[in-house]
Amino acid sequence: MAHSIKPFGGFGLGLRRQHFADFLDGDVPVDFVEVISENYMVEGGRMLRVLDQVREKHPVIIHGVSMSIGSAHGLDTDYLAKLKRLEQRVDPLWVSDHLCWTRTSAHNSHDLLPLPLTAEALDVVCGNIDQAQHALGRAMLFENPSSYLTFPEDELTEWEFLTEMTRRTGCYLLLDVNNIYVSAQNHGFSAREYLAGLSLDRVRQIHLAGHTPPQEGSGIRIDTHDHDVCDEVWELYAEVCRMLDTAKTPVATMIERDGNIPPIAEVLTELDNARGIAGEVLELA
Amino acid sequence: MELSDLQSAFMANILDDASALPAGWGTRHEAGLSIYRGNYRNAVIEALRDSFTKTREWTGEAPFKQAAINHVIAKPTASWTIDDAGEGFDATCEGFFSNAPEVAELAWLEWVMLAASSAPETQPISLTQFGEITSAFAEEDWLQLRIGLIPDLHMRFVSHDLHAIWTVEAGERPAIDLEEQRGVLVWREDERPIFQMVEPDEIVALQMLQSGKGYGEVCLALAGDDPTPDDAQAAAMRAGGLLGRWVQEGFVLGLNP
Repeated sequence: MAHSIKPFGGFGLGLRRQHFADFLDGDVPVDFVEVISENYMVEGGRMLRVLDQVREKHPVIIHGVSMSIGSAHGLDTDYLAKLKRLEQRVDPLWVSDHLCWTRTSAHNSHDLLPLPLTAEALDVVCGNIDQAQHALGRAMLFENPSSYLTFPEDELTEWEFLTEMTRRTGCYLLLDVNNIYVSAQNHGFSAREYLAGLSLDRVRQIHLAGHTPPQEGSGIRIDTHDHDVCDEVWELYAEVCRMLDTAKTPVATMIERDGNIPPIAEVLTELDNARGIAGEVLELA
Repeated sequence: MELSDLQSAFMANILDDASALPAGWGTRHEAGLSIYRGNYRNAVIEALRDSFTKTREWTGEAPFKQAAINHVIAKPTASWTIDDAGEGFDATCEGFFSNAPEVAELAWLEWVMLAASSAPETQPISLTQFGEITSAFAEEDWLQLRIGLIPDLHMRFVSHDLHAIWTVEAGERPAIDLEEQRGVLVWREDERPIFQMVEPDEIVALQMLQSGKGYGEVCLALAGDDPTPDDAQAAAMRAGGLLGRWVQEGFVLGLNP
């Protein structure tokens, strides 16, 4: 049985190389930082030293992109062992990854690939989550991905899949508001229906990010994390804040920027916007 | 279709757009798949650009990109970390830049410098410790001495002046062909990976130590075949000088490990 994850409220940033000096030399006004696990699953060197120094100043969340929790070919035990070593080094608030798959037994896509939303896939995901949570000795968070196709085999909606996944494994949710918006636009479902169908009490963290709007002739939004958060995502975030009972169960919110990374002041301005929206909702409540 | 078959077919299509689509998939799926395929290729090419900056600057952007595309197609990655995408890129460069063999040597150099940058922390012995351990050594002790080296010390012979390539200014094209092969050593000093061009006999000596040979055997090898007493004396001096340098640079983990 997975352990419970104590809620942690606050506003943070994803730690990126471009901002190392800001975090090491200055006092960045964040409540936590999130690091990409794989960048620090190394034996030694600068990255780990930076992480150790940042950890002295801020609580840290470790967020992975390569666990491949939806892989029918199983989890990579070498990966799990290295992740466990990082987890022991950092003592993070929590460990998260994505509802997706990235590998077969022979190859790795280095991209978050979509799962068919079927009973078989749900069994695979839940089995893999049980294995990962057992290996780490703690419950994990899983993030809803953006996707660019759906499968003819689908039997469930994504929110039904996520809800059943949390019920069966005791895992929690990292809600990426941008990803909900992108997938809703790409596949024509209602983002608000998606939110209403989730077990929101399992949400411990929120990601806010930008994406690339549809290019001419494509019609598909792409989750690039290299733009500012768009107005529609801010509106959806306000909706999420209204739906979550953050007074009772705090949720950690962060800006996730992976490309075209601006100076930290610009990202902090976006984080202030998130603080403002969440604060207004809390006051009204 | 079972999930494992679906994922195998999906992955095959990401790696090769000529691969057959799963049954029942149409143009809508093809459009989505092409985005995932593009993401995969862009991610690996971008990782190669980051890992091989000097190689890219030396070859120029367009030839480098073509070599990177060849690498993505010929050597799809199996590792969970995209940092491993550069594995074997020097071999790709050897084939792709066959008229510019320095490119493969440069790519090898960048690859092992990257490996050194995240190598495990080590505690080499200091000159003081070395002096304390060896102060009472008799000649026999030196001949039987085993030297433990740090694990992430990389080396090879090269035919081009990689230092000249590494420090080249934009627009310059220095002379890079070496009259005789030299050696390159790569290691990490504190947080910084560094390399040094060295004489070939130093590479021979270090490779002997890495393969488990003793200091006495290194001295013999440096003396050459049928050495005169002067040759043996010079080899012992050379070996002593090298050993002192290795301790100073932090290559030596321990003596008689």
